Amino acid sequence: MSTPLLDRASALPQDCVPALVDLVVALADNKHALGLRYGEWCSSGPTIEAGVAATAMAQDELGHARVLYGLLEELPGAPHRSEHEWAASDARTAAFLDRPFPGWPHLIVANVLLDQALASVLETALLSRYLPLRQRVRKILEEERYHAIHGQGWLRQLAAEGPRVRELLGEAVRAAWPDALCWFGPADGGSLRPLVDAGVLREAGDPVRERFLAGTGPLLSQSGVAAPVRAEGDRWVLTEPLPWPVWDERARRVRGGAPERDTR
Amino acid sequence: MKTIGEEPVYEVFARRVEGEPLRHVGCVAAPADALARVYARSIYDEESWLEMYVVPRRAIIPVESVRGEAVDAHV
Repeated sequence: MSTPLLDRASALPQDCVPALVDLVVALADNKHALGLRYGEWCSSGPTIEAGVAATAMAQDELGHARVLYGLLEELPGAPHRSEHEWAASDARTAAFLDRPFPGWPHLIVANVLLDQALASVLETALLSRYLPLRQRVRKILEEERYHAIHGQGWLRQLAAEGPRVRELLGEAVRAAWPDALCWFGPADGGSLRPLVDAGVLREAGDPVRERFLAGTGPLLSQSGVAAPVRAEGDRWVLTEPLPWPVWDERARRVRGGAPERDTR
Repeated sequence: MKTIGEEPVYEVFARRVEGEPLRHVGCVAAPADALARVYARSIYDEESWLEMYVVPRRAIIPVESVRGEAVDAHV
């Protein structure tokens, strides 16, 4: 028997509305910030083609943010958000997006880790019971397919340039890692759990993180880029615990940025 | 690996509607097939294409050509 669709916000179980608002705000804010950061490389990519691709990804991300902000209009208790009045001061974004990327390798790491972490979360809403979300996700994911190819292709190309570039990539990976990997929520999904229970998301927490690592782990490993992940049988597992004590579930970012650690 | 600026060239072909011939729309330089697809999609996005393909220039076999040798990449 198929589960009935929830075609409007008033049909959602009350207890999952705040969680959905927080998720949509954080998804859209991160996409808006990512769009602005990609856009800063429109005319300064390593090749003309790379600059045009960064421009296209910037347009895509800003479009995704606009589409997701549209979801907030009918959700009770949602903060006001508009792409035209976007203020970074109260935005819920990953720390890695707080400042302009210092170099192209940082853009590629944001592309591979953050952009794709958000896409992995959206993928769990592909068959969402909440129709307004489900209707928006398919097109976003179609465009994200090309972002994934872009990130993978460039990561491999940059890593092949030599140890210095691989080191730079590794540093950027370490900086973006906590926010990207915590985004899926703690093991059981944490604040995303009510959304899974209501069928708004298919799953959250560890299953989504494991699927993400199954794609990202081999890419980083084969490219020779250092990252706290290793193969264990046919799975890819973390080699360091994630910083849950400083993870802010509502803002969906690590408080105070990434904790200071030795790089080796 | 090719240095940036020396990447192979891919010719881009596309068609707008079913039944229309596939036509040449331009070219992109990319280090590998995957990025050539991304670049073609982002650069030649002025139309809503039904289909788009990239072909490595070096894969094009000359039939009649002013060139004395096969068309190669980065030319």
